[in-house]
Amino acid sequence: MKIKFTLNKKKVTAEVESTERLIDLLRNKFQLMGTKEGCSIGECGACTILMDGKAVNSCLVLAEQIEGAEIITIEGIADGEQLHPIQENFIKAGAIQCGFCTPGMVVSSYELLNENPEPNEEEIKEAIAGNLCRCTGYKQIIDAVKISAEQLRDSK
Amino acid sequence: MIPEHKFINADNIEDVLRLLNENDNAKVIAGGTDIIPGFHIDSARFKEIELLIDINKIKDFNSIELADNHLSIGASSNFTQIINDPNVNKYFPLLVNAVSQIGSHQIRNRATIGGNFINNAPCADSVPALLIYNAVLEIKSIIETKEIPLSEFLLKQYQTALNTNEVVTRVKLPFLNENYSGKFYKLGRRRGVAISRISLAVLMKKSNGIIEDVRIAGGAVTPIGTRFTKIEDMMKGKAAKSDLFKEAAQKIGEQILELTGLRWSSIYKLPVVQQKIYQLLEEINLEMNSVNKNEN
Repeated sequence: MKIKFTLNKKKVTAEVESTERLIDLLRNKFQLMGTKEGCSIGECGACTILMDGKAVNSCLVLAEQIEGAEIITIEGIADGEQLHPIQENFIKAGAIQCGFCTPGMVVSSYELLNENPEPNEEEIKEAIAGNLCRCTGYKQIIDAVKISAEQLRDSK
Repeated sequence: MIPEHKFINADNIEDVLRLLNENDNAKVIAGGTDIIPGFHIDSARFKEIELLIDINKIKDFNSIELADNHLSIGASSNFTQIINDPNVNKYFPLLVNAVSQIGSHQIRNRATIGGNFINNAPCADSVPALLIYNAVLEIKSIIETKEIPLSEFLLKQYQTALNTNEVVTRVKLPFLNENYSGKFYKLGRRRGVAISRISLAVLMKKSNGIIEDVRIAGGAVTPIGTRFTKIEDMMKGKAAKSDLFKEAAQKIGEQILELTGLRWSSIYKLPVVQQKIYQLLEEINLEMNSVNKNEN
């Protein structure tokens, strides 16, 4: 079936199969490889994207279900070549090791800071509880989100 | 792998009812957080599906509205919506407590209240809270609109009283008077993205030290979410005291054993459940006493 939706702020159309999930559509048809597939059952968060402003697992959405939706992937978080402050701070804080969880982590953090510009540590942990990282031990990731929150507040 | 299927984005309830009536192997989908991973792992439970009817675009299915004597929650309201709704927070805080511990933020942004109890997993976290609030479901088919208590709707693990031509449209929670106090408890292997090993919801109302009403429900410790009504009845009209709480906790343990049989986990789980029920009753009782003192 043919669907229309917004992908990283551009209106797009796509012919989708009933067997495709949103993650398949993003990676295979749109070549957006930043969205990773880890567990495929909604536990690891590597495939997190924004759907109508909300962080969701793209492995748990059928391609058919995004008619009319606004989808933002990790590729849409940066402003062209200019990284988003959250991405900059992930690099600075040493929050990236193997990098597999990073796109999902950044997207979850992005939604958090959109909705709650002043999160405390517990709120940060809750926001990224659905994103597994097997390298960092999370400390650096939490630091990166904290620094980003401060920076984004200051820049407003 | 997702199996091939037909898919319809429904934009009104009438179309949903007609489609359900015409197709025996149709299934309504909203959040999809059970169906889609179920497809992916090739679960036998979703093998027969030929048509998926998506109801996400129907506003009537996901609104939360105040009515005269109840709060009416659209069946496809997702958990984030419920957590953020001021009326659910004000009148049914244990439901907020229960659903805010489900899955992860990403899951709660998609997963719906209706999906949680229609799927009817033993560990569905909204169920014990809905049971103690005496939730009633509004169910529609092309023939009729009917209401049925959640406790009668849940039949067995992953089985409900929903017919193939029916859809659950709303969850109605009757308002309680102000003298109730309660608690929800969940034990998982970790805090986030954890399947409940034990979930408990307790609600109590006292007058002059006597228990007027008490409601106790468990999840994950029984084949489906269950109210312990026999024990509740035993407690009503008696003085709210530690001895009674101990007796109730012990009897609930016995009833769980009757319902589930002795399992490998029983030796650990049962004493924990009993101790936790006892603690919850004590805590609620103490909190109610201190509230009363402050008022006096």
